Amino acid sequence: MCPSARRIGRGEVTAPRPAFQRYAIPTDPAPDVVRVPPRFRVKVTKYRLAALAIGEVIHARGNMRVALSRPCMYGVFGRPVGGMAPIEDLCVACLRCTVEYPRVVRIVRNPARELLAVPGISADEVETLLYESRTGRVPVRGAGYRGPFGGSGWDGMWLDMSEIVRPTRDGIHGREHISTVVDIGERPPFLAFDAAGAPVGPLPRGRAISVPFLLGPAPADERADEVQDVLLEAARHLDTLALVPLPTILERGLAGPHVAPLVGAGDLSLLDRLPAPPVVVEIDGWDPIHHAAIAARFPDAILSVRVPLGSDAVALVRAGARVIHLVAPDWAAAAVSLPDDIRRTHLALVEAGVRDEVTLLGSGAVRVAEHVPKAIACGLDAVVLDVPLWVALQGRRREDPGAAGASAAVSWAFPRAGEEWAVRRVLNVAASWRDQLIEILGAMGLREVRRLRGELGRCMFQVDVEREALGGIDGYPA
Amino acid sequence: MAIQPELDRVTRLSVEKHVEALRSGVHAWASGRLGEPSAMGDARWPAGLIIATWLQAETGTPPAGGPEHRVGRSGGGFDALDFAFLPPDRWLAPDAAFDLSIPLTHRPGARQLRIPIPWYGAGMSYGSISEQVMLARALVAERWQTFTSTGEGGYPLSLQPHREHVITQVATGMFGVREETILWAPIVEIKYAQGAKPGLGGHLLGDKATTSVAAMRGSVPWVSLFSPFPFHSVYSVEDHRKHIDWFRSINPDLLVSVKVSTPTDVDMVAVGSYYAGADVLQIDGAYGGTGAAPEIAKKNIALPIELALPRVHRFLESEGIRDEIVVMASGGVRTAWDIAKAVALGADGCVLGTTELVALGCTRCSNCERGRGCPFGLTTTDPELSALVDPQWGAERLDRLYRSFDLQLRGILRRLGLAKIRDLRGRTDLLRYVPGGVAGCSEPAHGPR
Repeated sequence: MCPSARRIGRGEVTAPRPAFQRYAIPTDPAPDVVRVPPRFRVKVTKYRLAALAIGEVIHARGNMRVALSRPCMYGVFGRPVGGMAPIEDLCVACLRCTVEYPRVVRIVRNPARELLAVPGISADEVETLLYESRTGRVPVRGAGYRGPFGGSGWDGMWLDMSEIVRPTRDGIHGREHISTVVDIGERPPFLAFDAAGAPVGPLPRGRAISVPFLLGPAPADERADEVQDVLLEAARHLDTLALVPLPTILERGLAGPHVAPLVGAGDLSLLDRLPAPPVVVEIDGWDPIHHAAIAARFPDAILSVRVPLGSDAVALVRAGARVIHLVAPDWAAAAVSLPDDIRRTHLALVEAGVRDEVTLLGSGAVRVAEHVPKAIACGLDAVVLDVPLWVALQGRRREDPGAAGASAAVSWAFPRAGEEWAVRRVLNVAASWRDQLIEILGAMGLREVRRLRGELGRCMFQVDVEREALGGIDGYPA
Repeated sequence: MAIQPELDRVTRLSVEKHVEALRSGVHAWASGRLGEPSAMGDARWPAGLIIATWLQAETGTPPAGGPEHRVGRSGGGFDALDFAFLPPDRWLAPDAAFDLSIPLTHRPGARQLRIPIPWYGAGMSYGSISEQVMLARALVAERWQTFTSTGEGGYPLSLQPHREHVITQVATGMFGVREETILWAPIVEIKYAQGAKPGLGGHLLGDKATTSVAAMRGSVPWVSLFSPFPFHSVYSVEDHRKHIDWFRSINPDLLVSVKVSTPTDVDMVAVGSYYAGADVLQIDGAYGGTGAAPEIAKKNIALPIELALPRVHRFLESEGIRDEIVVMASGGVRTAWDIAKAVALGADGCVLGTTELVALGCTRCSNCERGRGCPFGLTTTDPELSALVDPQWGAERLDRLYRSFDLQLRGILRRLGLAKIRDLRGRTDLLRYVPGGVAGCSEPAHGPR
């Protein structure tokens, strides 16, 4: 008998139960295809090195193994000619060489590394994204935190931890039981039943996705279609949704439960050409007539409206919207204001008593893994990823100074490395971000990411805690 | 020293060569003649602060007009605080008797331990650091009549002669905890959480779990060790009390320190620890730490120590128990000035980890967890690398750093008109906030020489 079958009643055997499969994102190494400049430059004064080498041979009385023993344990001087041709890619700036031989070798930060930065994402953040997309791992380093004390936007908040409350008592950390599933959809405030006990009126409708992030539409590029394919394939593996412009879906014959058509104002007439009813449709902008028309056309679909950050979410909900995607168009501004804007929207919905009925999505200025739990703690249900994925795919951002509108001026050029490589990169980033999210949830003692949503009591905003701690000190800004 | 590993002749000669080069190199950089290594440092530990710490470990005094030795450039916290010193005519006399001592318990009937300086060494485990470094720290703790902590990795026997100055840490993995390590300890430190990775438990990656480390911890060599989180036997203050009772049933004389992180309710945690029977509460802020930690945990979970301390201090005061428990601050305390500021924010004293490693030559390259471990022989148990540190040499450097800190603290007290460090506790009125951060050494940094 199949071990997973079970015997019930008088011995009849039911069909085998489907084996439980724990959600996991597959990862595989996916090395960079575009060479990344080394983090550090190794500047060797060659004549001093030669003199040093001769001196050490004499000092070691000809014992060449001792004389040629090098300070670097990372292989920077691993070539036969050692410091004459250092391998800069291997340098991690431990500085042992320059501490031991300060007059022979200097390690300097490579200014070319700064060129990795893209507007809104620093070079350090790009470096982290590249690491995550190469390996799928959580970045781990020693020696504590190295950055500024606080800052604006995401940098101005900390998340809580719990000294003793844990997500579960199972497993070494209970991590394997932490759920990252979120629901995209709507829930009525209450259920109504008729005399026979059958539900009447609206029922909850939602699409559960296994990670609290969706994949945004591919950026403008001559190879946008290929990138879109990559995102779709990644969404399938991740069990999430990829937002795809409706014309692209029709043109390329895309379909499936992981495709969410993004419908522009002029695309309404194209909806009839969809080969199958979509599960989720995102409408660009709020237009009650369009919204009603699409709802009528696809009564079972979940409709999301894509509106600028700062829109009046309560008014939208009262007008019938149930999934709201807040888009921060200006990354630089959003990096400062996004936490406050999300918080404000979330609290307004709470105040109006409708927060649990709707789904809030957000995109823009979610640059690195830590921004996902922070955005959710501020009030989002899930985030929509875009630019970090283009960075993971080693895209190069291009600006056309001659173009009129800001959005029209920006495009991305992606390297030709094949779909398999690209899907792997996206999955690696997603796996790393999910694992980091689980680290946070574990530390906070939360068993599922849904419980993190709007958990403002467990956020510590610098402006608040600093005022509480230091507010009475002379010179502290009033 | 006996604990130095046996190496073959060529390796030994190579190590000797590099030891000599390292020591002369550290000396050369500390002298200031070479400037600052351009790839060194970060906002919390700028290159100048690292060099200044090296210099103090060489001279025993703070640099006069040299690199900035008081603050970093993080723009907030300790780096945005300065002291509102009295005008010079109201300073205490240079030869006044300054008392830097603090008690480590306020509980009647407990063993009355007191340390003459307001700091002791943080828990860093065997495996995360070398035995040589542990011994150097124990030697200096003994010399200064203070303490160092084993961290969670067992109690190397080389520390046993100095046991009156060694705290046994008991953490969630219980690595290396044995009955005798509790019996030897004047203080047991129960680590509930740590600032570098709050809520996550200790990490020792596989490459560093060498045969000797695994033997000490009772684990399998080369397998990563992730301490569980939290203690699965503690889910309440009552469970916490039970833990303390266990240790006191083995060694009735010991004091108990409780190490916790800085969640939103850190004030309630402090009160709970007091009622569970702790003598010392060590609050470990989010920005410190010496070992491997996920980057996401370092910056984003729990409060920096500067913001947690006033909350704890005031709450304990309002509960009427502030004078019943000793509060030690850790996690990002780098300098003598940080110690003084932490005390002014409400701590009794501080616990130092990274600072001691920097004094021993750490460049804060953050590669502690990678492969064989630290290239300077500090955070490694690789036989060849760990031989780069001689415990006596290390103890001498730490001794001089301690002297410098002692001198600076006396200078700060003198200019504040205080004779005792205990009188500085909670005196936020003696602090001055400088938005954006204190810039450079604009005034004489130290008092009596």
